[in-house]
Amino acid sequence: MRHWKTWAAAAGVALVAGSAAAQELYAPNLAYRTGPFAATGIPLMNGQADYFTMLNERDGGIGGIRVNFDECETGYSTEKGVECYEKTKAKAIVTQPWSTGITLQVLPKSNVDEIPILAPGYGFSPMADGRVFQWAFNTPSSYWDGASMILQYLEQEGGSLEGKKIAFLHLDHPFGKEPLPFLEAKAEEIGFSLVPIPVGLKEMQNQSAQWLQIRRERPDYVVMWGWGAMNAGAITEAVKTRFPMENFVGVWWASHDADLRLVGADGAGYKAISWSYPVLDAPVMQDIRTHVVEAGLSQTSEEEMQGVFYSRGVVISMILAEGIRAAQAEFGHAEITPSELRWGLENLNVTEARLAELGMTGMVPPFATSCADHTGHSGGWMLEWDGEKFVKASELLKPESALVSELEAREAQAYAEANAPWPVNETCSVGG
Amino acid sequence: MLYRTAGQFKTSYAADQALFPVRQDAILLGLVLVLAWVVLPLTASEFAFQTMLIPVLIYALAALGLNVLTGYAGQLSLGTGAFMGVGAYACYKLVTLFPWLNPVVAILMSGAFSAGVGVAFGIPSLRIKGFYLAIATLAAQFFLVWLFEKWAWLYNSNASGAIQVPNLEMFGLWVAGPQAASVTQYYLVLGVVTLMTVLCINLTRGTLGRTWKATRDMDIAAELIGINLMRSKLTAFAISSYIVGVAGALYVFMWKGAAEPNVFDIPLSFQVLFIAIIGGLGSILGNYLGAILIVGLPVALNLVPGALGLPISSAMVEHLNIMIVGALILFFLIIEPHGLARLWALIREKLIVWPFPY
Repeated sequence: MRHWKTWAAAAGVALVAGSAAAQELYAPNLAYRTGPFAATGIPLMNGQADYFTMLNERDGGIGGIRVNFDECETGYSTEKGVECYEKTKAKAIVTQPWSTGITLQVLPKSNVDEIPILAPGYGFSPMADGRVFQWAFNTPSSYWDGASMILQYLEQEGGSLEGKKIAFLHLDHPFGKEPLPFLEAKAEEIGFSLVPIPVGLKEMQNQSAQWLQIRRERPDYVVMWGWGAMNAGAITEAVKTRFPMENFVGVWWASHDADLRLVGADGAGYKAISWSYPVLDAPVMQDIRTHVVEAGLSQTSEEEMQGVFYSRGVVISMILAEGIRAAQAEFGHAEITPSELRWGLENLNVTEARLAELGMTGMVPPFATSCADHTGHSGGWMLEWDGEKFVKASELLKPESALVSELEAREAQAYAEANAPWPVNETCSVGG
Repeated sequence: MLYRTAGQFKTSYAADQALFPVRQDAILLGLVLVLAWVVLPLTASEFAFQTMLIPVLIYALAALGLNVLTGYAGQLSLGTGAFMGVGAYACYKLVTLFPWLNPVVAILMSGAFSAGVGVAFGIPSLRIKGFYLAIATLAAQFFLVWLFEKWAWLYNSNASGAIQVPNLEMFGLWVAGPQAASVTQYYLVLGVVTLMTVLCINLTRGTLGRTWKATRDMDIAAELIGINLMRSKLTAFAISSYIVGVAGALYVFMWKGAAEPNVFDIPLSFQVLFIAIIGGLGSILGNYLGAILIVGLPVALNLVPGALGLPISSAMVEHLNIMIVGALILFFLIIEPHGLARLWALIREKLIVWPFPY
């Protein structure tokens, strides 16, 4: 009995403490630090968490209110993701689903629960159409943007793609299939032949069959949409089969330093398109070092902080923080609601000057969103592995907006029809 | 004391063969039903519905289907996840091809497709047994998941390759899709699960159930006393796959809302198999107990540190959770290798003679 009383008292204290701390913004992150994708998840999650810890420590939060950047562990499993979503949605101002599978499940609920989904650089490309997907944001670049930038880069470097052959090595999963509609449309338009080569989830680590096919097909380029163990598998296999690395280009999730470090100098020349870049001496990184890492509030390491993924985590949190800031400025109070945050995310305007203020010059291209455009389509850089680290290999590349937005509008419409009744934002007419 | 059976006389054969020869069993079941049908829906939160009540029921139903095959008919199967997938994809095609179809009818019909596929993959069971049969069902698992990925017609050729549940209406009430209320979905799942359970209890007590048990215990002897093994095994495959298919349709339509092919991959099969084994093979009750332990308990455990205000990171909670649930599974299997249902049966027997054991 005595024990029960102690526990009850502890629970009571916890409840009181919970209600006393109401003056905060609750921004949960559906993180994955466990499970098969943990190796790639941890640097991203650390970057995200450290940015908010830094804001809390340095400025006392945003607009004078602390941000409770809570993590809910999903292990990249959709079931746990739904559990986390249900657990956090009562207080949350935002959902960060962190997997295409979880995004697909949460997306239809967003109109009912009215909590914005922030999926920077992942999720569903048509989410860019803010009139249909009022609550979803994939700022600053969608997968179709990425595919468009890759094709442009290849054309810049090696001349017209007409008559060439591109092998599209992708994870056989909604994520990997994402850019196919765009690539197919472009293949028809330009006249290159596209060879999609799927990698099953079970074959991620052993891709000898796929690379045998690549050797037989002799493509001019290999474009890879990979994630987790698939990237390391593909890169080691490419080195083994002596595929010319400079003709091998990946998406931004295939730019994890640890994957390339496995092959080291043999991987030199490998490229990945990216909308973020690690600027190691950026003021924001210095602030994170002084306020977070040296204060012992972080789980990161020096090596991890220099990687592409850590700094991408920082950029992702910056997008959310800027959204919160915009909403606070518009509505004039610090404790914003989810729908006010949606307004903030729809009215982001991160200019070069703003990036300089944030101390993030060069870490992400300037971008702006509107109620019709939830992506920003700000472009990115081609990164190249020089044998030790990723370096910028191109100027800022811009996606080809005309085709991308036409596809987005069509697919978004199809989604809305399949999920009727689906509310569409009629009042929004910006951007046609 | 509470479970004393003294004074309960059976005066007819019907009374002796009744579903509940002991009155307290009936009362206990009545209480559970009142809890499930009245108390929980009135008190549960959205979180409880979505993460505990609905999934526990659906997993229990899937395990029930597997138990018919493995527990009662003795045919080992590792293809449960894929058969759930057949049910889910069949239901998706039915509601998108015939939008006027009643969702419950669609869910119940989709089981028929799964039953057909199950029988087809059950044919090898006439020649092979035990572990070899498990390999044959494993082939079903790999083949079907591959089919869900490659056959674009199944997911209406949409770009993501995943199926997404549309908003479905029944008598003016949203029952599936994002508009549906959790309590509606819960009642629908509970209704289907209750119906299937009643059916299964009676099936396994009847001729068919006895045929299955004879096949399981010794198939040569069963054949010698005149049981048609082919009929016995294939009906087991059909009925089992039907229930599993319905569970799969519920899994996507009443709970997840969207699914990509790899959801139905082998981990799902194993999860259902573990529920059936830990709950107890060859029992109906065991499926529910197993589902509560494997599906419900981790969710509840995840809430404990938060409720106590312990400052443990979410990833650490997950690691602890895996360890605790794993240890519990070992513990239960060591104290009673025949599963939770057998454990309950032993407790019940002890209660009947308590406080004067003999």
